[in-house]
Amino acid sequence: MGATIHSIASHLPERNVSNEDLAAEFAGWTAEKIESKTGIKNRRIVADGEFASDMAAGAAGRLFDRGGIDRSSVDALLYCTQSPDYILPTTACLLQHRLGLPTGIAAFDFNLGCSGFIYGLGVASGLVASGQARRVLLLTADTYSRYLHKEDRGVRTIFGDGAAATLIDHADGEGGLGGPFVYGTDGSGAENLIIEAGGQRCPAAVPAGDDDDQPASRYLRMNGPEIFTFTLNVVPETVERLLEQGGLALGDIDLFVFHQANEYMLKHLRKRLGVPEEKFVISMHDCGNTVSSTVPIALEDAAASGRLVRGMRVMLLGFGVGYSWGGTIVRW
Amino acid sequence: MTKSEFCLMLDDIIEEERGTVTPDSALVDLLGWDSLAVLSFIAAADERMGKTLSGKEVEECETVGDLLKLVGDSVE
Repeated sequence: MGATIHSIASHLPERNVSNEDLAAEFAGWTAEKIESKTGIKNRRIVADGEFASDMAAGAAGRLFDRGGIDRSSVDALLYCTQSPDYILPTTACLLQHRLGLPTGIAAFDFNLGCSGFIYGLGVASGLVASGQARRVLLLTADTYSRYLHKEDRGVRTIFGDGAAATLIDHADGEGGLGGPFVYGTDGSGAENLIIEAGGQRCPAAVPAGDDDDQPASRYLRMNGPEIFTFTLNVVPETVERLLEQGGLALGDIDLFVFHQANEYMLKHLRKRLGVPEEKFVISMHDCGNTVSSTVPIALEDAAASGRLVRGMRVMLLGFGVGYSWGGTIVRW
Repeated sequence: MTKSEFCLMLDDIIEEERGTVTPDSALVDLLGWDSLAVLSFIAAADERMGKTLSGKEVEECETVGDLLKLVGDSVE
């Protein structure tokens, strides 16, 4: 039994933060400069009292309603987030109840960022291929905006909140999710994208106020140059591994959808890999980097605009916090 | 790439008038040398000199001369 991506629906919060809004906060920066450096014009941010699970539920609701999907046909729920509702229980349990899914299903969270969607597809296709599930709902959602220090313009310009729901269905034959899947992990890069406080090693009560970022911060700390070097090292290698395992050449891929980290980095990677512009999706202009939801949001956009059509061979790649990365080639 | 071309490249990266950067320039004196400039420099080294530099080693540089040492024989 094979698995395939049945449908994708995303959900973005209402509140918008434009480059003009940010330029007004950061002296010396203009809206044009922010756009030219990041490729982002707008990012959407959750309201007070709105959480990642709300966005995930919104995305799932859209997916069910639009596709006329019978909720009782879902038999596994995977929730990828780094913004859980509680330390415990697992937010996926709350979402099972909230979405009116059957109680006889598997549900769990997994904590990954930019590589999370690829992992979700890998696990979902494994559950289906091994007969443990027939229909898997993969939800990705994060509210990084809550982790950003208000004066850290390096991250405030890039990250936006968002969610996506992806339905993975069983298929006759190999299905669109037949792989290959490749993964990578290098925990030596943990400190380059991290929120130190809030876990067991440094409980939330320890750090002080807003201006405190030493020694352990409740804010996201990103070392942009190191993350960039990391992507230069792993992305070309992952592309090569995928092509080799799939017995394919670069020209056999119809569309490349990579984690939408920032446009500058993506353009550089595209050139370095030698991928033609028309085959390379950049889709973050109006939502920014939504972490594990960037790839499904870009896929939904590309399908809606007619750029992605059934039958295409698409390379998906996620890379970032961990360090953690993964890639696959899907048949759309 | 020659040393003077290297300096012109840095002028563009920090968005200063051409001729601003010299091999002796201290990076701390160059206003545009921020984390975005570091990122652009890493991209340029990768694209134009075939060198993958780490963020750490670039950030440890104090002068343009130190940057030149990092890219080694890619600059004559």
